[in-house]
Formats: sequence, structure tokens, C-alpha cells
Amino acid sequence: MMILQSLRLQPMHGYALVKHIKQASDNLLQVEEGSLYPALQRMLKEGWLDAKAGTSAKGRPTRIYRLTNAGRRHLEQEIASVEKMFAGIARVLAIAKA
Amino acid sequence: MLSFRQFFSRRRRYEDLSVSIREHLQEKVEDLMEEGMSREEAAFAARRDFGNAALLEERSRQVWQQPLLPYLLADLKFACRQALRLPRFTLATIATLAIGIGAQATMYSVVHAVLMDPYPYQGAMRMVHLHLYEKDPVPDDLGLTGPQFAAFQRSPLLDGAIAEDMYSRALTGEALPEQVQAARISPNAFQYFGVPALLGREFGPSDEIHAAVLSYHFWKSHYNGRRDIIGTTFAMDHEPFTIVGVLPQRFAWTGSDLYTPLAYSADPQRVANVFARLKPGISDPAAENAIEPMLHQFARETPANFPQIFHLHLVHINELAIGRFHGVLIILFISVSFLLLLACVNVAILFLARGEARQPEIALRKALGAGPSRIVGQLLTESLLLSLAGGGCGVILALGGIRLVRHFMLPTLFPPEAEIALNLPVLFFSVAVSVATGVICGLWPALRAARIDARRAVDAGSHKLAGRKGTRTSHMVLLAGQAAITMLLLACSGATLQKLSRLMHADLGYDPQHLLSVSLALHEGDHHQWSDRVAYFEQIRTTMDTDPAILSSAILEAGLPPSAGQTTPVSVPESNSAGGEVQCERISAEYWRTLRIPLLHGRNWSTAEIVHSAHLAVINQAMQRRYWPHADPIGQTIVLNHGVAAGNVWTLAAPGNDQHFQIIAVVGDVPNQGIEEHVAPTVYVPYTGIMHDWFNLVLRTRESATAALLHTIKERVHAIDAAQAVGDIVTADDLLQEDTSRDRFVASLFTAFAFLGLAFAVSGLYSIQSFLVTQRTREFGVRIALGARREHIVGLVTCSSLFAILAGTAVGLALDLSVSKIFSRWTSGNSRDPEMLAIVAAILLAAAALGSIVPARLAISIEPAEALRSE
Repeated sequence: MMILQSLRLQPMHGYALVKHIKQASDNLLQVEEGSLYPALQRMLKEGWLDAKAGTSAKGRPTRIYRLTNAGRRHLEQEIASVEKMFAGIARVLAIAKA
Repeated sequence: MLSFRQFFSRRRRYEDLSVSIREHLQEKVEDLMEEGMSREEAAFAARRDFGNAALLEERSRQVWQQPLLPYLLADLKFACRQALRLPRFTLATIATLAIGIGAQATMYSVVHAVLMDPYPYQGAMRMVHLHLYEKDPVPDDLGLTGPQFAAFQRSPLLDGAIAEDMYSRALTGEALPEQVQAARISPNAFQYFGVPALLGREFGPSDEIHAAVLSYHFWKSHYNGRRDIIGTTFAMDHEPFTIVGVLPQRFAWTGSDLYTPLAYSADPQRVANVFARLKPGISDPAAENAIEPMLHQFARETPANFPQIFHLHLVHINELAIGRFHGVLIILFISVSFLLLLACVNVAILFLARGEARQPEIALRKALGAGPSRIVGQLLTESLLLSLAGGGCGVILALGGIRLVRHFMLPTLFPPEAEIALNLPVLFFSVAVSVATGVICGLWPALRAARIDARRAVDAGSHKLAGRKGTRTSHMVLLAGQAAITMLLLACSGATLQKLSRLMHADLGYDPQHLLSVSLALHEGDHHQWSDRVAYFEQIRTTMDTDPAILSSAILEAGLPPSAGQTTPVSVPESNSAGGEVQCERISAEYWRTLRIPLLHGRNWSTAEIVHSAHLAVINQAMQRRYWPHADPIGQTIVLNHGVAAGNVWTLAAPGNDQHFQIIAVVGDVPNQGIEEHVAPTVYVPYTGIMHDWFNLVLRTRESATAALLHTIKERVHAIDAAQAVGDIVTADDLLQEDTSRDRFVASLFTAFAFLGLAFAVSGLYSIQSFLVTQRTREFGVRIALGARREHIVGLVTCSSLFAILAGTAVGLALDLSVSKIFSRWTSGNSRDPEMLAIVAAILLAAAALGSIVPARLAISIEPAEALRSE
């Protein structure tokens, strides 16, 4: 979800994605950088992303990942369901406090 | 399956992936260097943060892979290596499967060809003979006149009917006339049979009566299969016929040599035999009830052509051809299915034993990260490879088996139309069954491995002090099952062999050596005066006696024993138990001398008494036992109520034929219902009483029959009547051979099945025990080191499996006793003879003991030090 959300802002290549997620979460989320790639491939296969040749920040060839329309729809669904879940959790916690 | 495009798109994906990962790492290194790290430090840190790049790339690639195909080749290679590494296991598995499949497919093909689909004729299973008696062993087919046949054909229950008049005729126009079986069939016949001609065409209603269609075998034997004979002519009884066509090999209706159109004559005495095909869905009793009134009406019109009292009895053409053999074939098929089952059990044992031995290997694979699907995939490949190899060899064996059956089977065993060919559906079935067995049993270790956690499995490999109990129970159950089935097969084999041996050593009551008969048929209408016909027959008989190659000759109406004459109702005026049916044989006085049948009491006919058709009869011992068990039958009078007393166009009755006969002698019994069957009471009367237009000449010769002898006979007959044809020689030995051919066929098949079964059981036993020894090598080593005695070790290896065999034998014995009734009804063999069963059980146990020797020796030869060092 985080990957999809990051890519919604702008198409990125792999290393940029890792950096983006790290920065956005203020280093709270530490993931093994490499495990990004199997995840990316699965999303490619689902059709949520597509990849095309591009250049990295350093000007070398790499692959830029971009969100597709299907990916956008999936992301919205995911966000909706996570928000619902958070709302639920928040309510249960509020009752527990009171 | 992957398409080409997908394959290329995958290559591009992989490249994208590599590029991305490479760039990722490089960028990270540069970033880290910017933070002030050295290049080495940066590269190390980048890799650490990234994780195992190769593995991650591999895992990313897997997203795109369809798991089976890329691994299949590797699995296949591995499976081949495994198969070659264990040649004994591989060979045993493939051979077991091949034999099981081959035997089953062969036997089923025979059953199918003979019982289910023997005839090429259209609607053959609805074709019937119409018999007027139920119990007559060789019943006459219904005979109708032309107008009657026309009326009969219109019956709404029938899907067609044909009339046929079979006759032995002479091919003239050659040096010596040749006897042929010519069938005159109604012109609608070929349409009725629905079998197209092989060459030329068949005749139809528009053809004139001098058209002839040849049977395949006659075309081959007489014309050497020449294709240019269509349109040529030949002479039969000096009448010219034109060949219009040749029939295919499987058309063998009534076994005739050639077929000509039947033209019904206006003479009400001239009848032709009638055969019919029922409409689909009409039951036999329904057809019998509907047709019988019509026949009674016909009988009132032409009483001479019908018996006085009769019932219609329909017999399907296959019933007549196969008879009791039907049951035997089914039993054989069941046995061979058991054999397939045995083969499957054996394969199961082999795979289970090997699977057990591979548990540590599988555990190791699991520990190294192989997922369940990979392990299953690999085992599946291995078992499929073996099963398919077995299946392939099975197909080859089945093809060979069919050739063998075709080669060794007497043609008289089955209907001549039957063509035994490999039956594909059943071949697929047996291959599928055995492949399924192989696959299921081959996968079993994988399923086990899925249950057991990896550590324990690896431990089991390294600390083999004792085998587990659970796996062995399943082996023992399989082993006992094998023993039971083998016991059953062995008992069947024993019973059939016992019967065969009784047949071979039966007391025949006559001497079959150098004994033969030839049949002679008169030209239609020749010698139509009774005294003239008697003189002609006698002339031919006496001219044989003058030949130095012939010791003695006699005239006989029916065939040589063990075939039977005609069944005739008899009454004995002076006896209380009057009535019943007896066999009636029409013979000449020289019959006893020629067959060497002992005359026990009384006297023989004189030649004069034969020639004048004296009302004197000779009976056999069986007849005396039935009617005069304690009295002297000589001088008693009997009345034979056999059909036509007055004669007809073909049959001449002696003047004053009143069917009363005085008994003048008793002779020894000769089998007349088959060898080793009980002998039916028989009356022998002079052949001159009722004379047909054909007869059999029985000859006792100095040497065995040859073509030269037949030529001599033909020449002698030719000297008397140049147009008289002589049929082929039939020897008494041939007839005996034929009579035992079914039993021989059955006994050899059962014996083959039983020994294959035995081989399977022993190989199952052997593999279980060898497996047990390898699995418990350490334990045995320790035991031996601690001073265990050899007997004890042998006991450990053999005890439980021998117990399983014993239990299986007992179960098999019980099964055998419970099915022995069905078995004896269908094969007339006795499968509960204690002596035979004891021998058979001994064979099974001895084979089991032999099979145990090698594993037992292997166990006691274990060197403790080596055993503990192993692995």
C-alpha cells in the first residue's frame, strides 16, 4: 500500500522508492531493501504497476515504476479498508479508556 | 503451457529486474560514499541493507514463473539418474507393471473378441437359430418350405430372416472331384448380414442361380488368393457357376466354402433351414411365444417336415459357438484382473519400501528450503517415469500376447468369425490403473514428509536403531493380500491341471491310434433306391478293405467318438423304467473291429443282417445299467421313436422299418458326451435302417494318416464312381485333441497366471524383507555385536512377513473354498481337492521361504563394525 501510495505521487525507480518510504516514515519503518523487488514484481503481475526504461537520479539506465489505473483503484480500496479498520480500532480503544 | 510471447516477455522482465537491482545497489553505494564511507565499506553496507541479492532476484523472478515446467526437465534428469542408480528396483517395477498390463489387456482382448463382439454381421447379437427341441445336443435348425419362409419373414418381431440349404457338393472338371461345402442361401442373405464383399460383389435378388460368392478361406486354399478370378466359371456336380465375388475373412457363416443363391422349389418336402434376427428389445421368450403358433400352423400343413410334438427354442448364434466356455472366459478374465491387482500391490510395496528409505533425503531437501510442491513434483516425475515405462512395456507385451494367443489357439476353440485384436479401451484402462498406483504410492513419501517435521526425519536417518512399527503394518497387509490372491490363482491352476491330466489319461474304451474317418456325400438325387444305395455304400466300404494300407473299414453315420450320434426317445416294453432318451448310432458290423471296442456279451451282426437292415440292436454298458441293471438284456425288445420313419427326398428308409429292435449284444462304453464325462446310454443299429445321402467311412490304417493316404482313398472311390467326391481326413487323435483343447487352453492360462502371481508375491516378499534389512542394519549390527544368535536375526527378518504369507494363504484357501462351486460350474474342475490344495499351498510356502533366503543371509552377514560406521 505504501509502495502504491508513493508511486501515486510520482513514478519512481526502486532505490528512489526505498528512500522515499524511509523519509516519509521518518525512518520508523526499516525494511530489507531487497524485499522491495519481489513485491514490485507481484504488483507488476497484478497489473497495478507498469515499468518502463528510464534514467536514475545519477543518469544511469534503470526502470521507472508507475501506477496504472487498476493500481489506483486497488489503492483506493485498500486505503478505504485500512481506514475502516483504524476507525474500528480507535472506537474500541476509546471505549476501553472510558 | 507457456506461449512463445510469454516466454520472451519474461526474458524482458528478468532483464528489467536485473537492471533495477544493479542500479539500486550502485546508487546506494554512491549515496553512502557521499556520506563519507570508503568504496569497500559502502559496498558492504549496501549489500547488507539490501539482503541476499541473488536470492531476492530469484524470488522476484519466481513471481513470473509457472512452477512446473522450468523444473520438469531437471526433475526428469534427476529421475533418470535415480532409476539408473537402483537398477533392481527400476527393473522390478517396470517388469511388474508390464506383465500386469500385458496379461490383462491380452485376456480382455480375447474375451472381447470372443464373447462381446465375435461377429462381423450387422446386429449379430440378435441373430438366432430356431431349434425345435430344447435338450438335443446337436439340434436341427428349423426347416421351412418356400411359401412358409415367405410368411415367416413377415413376422413383426423379426428384423430379417434368411433360408439356407447346406450341402456337400463335388467340384468337377478336375482329375479327382473335390468335396466342397456349398450353401444355397436366400438372395436377401447378404443384405441381412450387412458385410461388404472383399472382392467383386455379393449376389442379390436380381441374380440368377448360377452366381457364386466364395469364402475367404476357400479363395485362399483353392485359388491361391488370385484377384483375377472374378467372372470366371467353375463346375460343381457338372453345373457351371460364375464367381461374382469373394467374402472377407471374417465372414464364415456356417463355415461354408461357397455360397450360391437358393431357389425354393415347389416340392413341399424340400425345405431349407431358417435363421432370423430379432428386432431390438424383443426378448427370447416373447419371440418364442409369438412364433410358435405360426410353426404349429406350418406343421399342420406339412406334417412330414416337423416332429410330432415340439417347442420352439431360440439359441443365439454366440451361445451355440461358445456354450459353456463363456463361464471359463469370464473366470479367466477375473483371474487376470487379480493378476493386475497383484501387480499393483507389488508396485505399491516397491514404492513404499523405497519411499521409506528416502525419508532422510526428503527431509534434507526440506531443510534446504524445498517447498512441498517441489518435493511432490520431483517424486511425481520419478513415479510417472517408471509407471509410463512399465505401461509402454506392457503395451508391447500385450501385442506379443495377442500374437501368442492367435498362434497357439486351435481355431475350433472360438467362432471362426472372431478376430482377436488388441482392445484399445482396456489397454488404456490397465495402463491408467497401474500408472495411478505408481503415482499414488510414489507420492506417499512426500505426503509422509509433509506430516513429519524436518528435524525428526533427519534424525530418523542418522539414528537408525529401530524401524518404526506403523509402516510395517501396511506392508504386511499388502503382503498377506498378495499371498491370498496367489493362493486363489494357484488353486484354480491346480484344479484345471488336474482335470487336464485326467482327460489325458482317461480310459477311452477304444483305440484312437491310426484311426480316421472321411465323409462322402452323394450327388443330390443319386442312388435314390434304398437297395441301390446300400449296395453303393457297401461297394465303397469293401473296396477300402482291399487296400494294403487299410486294416479295417466300417460305415458310421455320425462322427468318431467322443462326438455323439443322435438323441432318440426309446421305450422298453418289458421294463418298468421304460422311456427316456438314448443315443442312437447307425453303423456297420465292422465298427467294433475297426475301433477295437470289446463285445462283452452276445454276438455281432452278420454282413447279411446289415445289408438287409435286420431289426437287431447292440447296446452299451451304460444302457444295460439303466434299463437292465440285474437282468440279461440279450433278447429283449426296444422301440426307437426317432423322427422320420418313412424317409424323404434325402433320406431313404428300409422296407418294413417298424422301429422295433431286438438286443443281440452288449459292448463296452465309449465316451460320447466328451472325455471324462459320464457315458450316455447308447443303442447301435444297422446303418441301413435309415439311409442319408451321405455317410462316414471309418478306417483303421497301418500308419498315420497322410496326404498320400487320402489320395489312395480318393482313387479307390473314383474307380467306382468318377463323380464321387471325398471329404478331408479327420483323425481320432485330432478329435481328442480338439475335445481337450479348451481344457488345455484354460489350464495353460491359469498356470501362467498363477506362476506370475507367485513371482509377484515372492518379489513383494523379497523387497519388503530387503528393505527391512537395510533399514535396520545398525540395529542388527548392534544385536550381533551384543551376541545375538543368527537364528534370532533370521527370525527378526522373516518372522512377520512369513506370518503375513501364512495368514494370506489361509485367507486364500478360505476364498477358494467359498468360490469353488462357481468355479466348478464354469470349468468343471474341482478346486477343493485337499491333495491338490496341499500341494499348491506347499508350493506357495516353499517359494516364500526361498524368497526369504537372500534377505536373511544379508542380515546375518552384517559386520557390526561396518554397520555402525555406515552413514
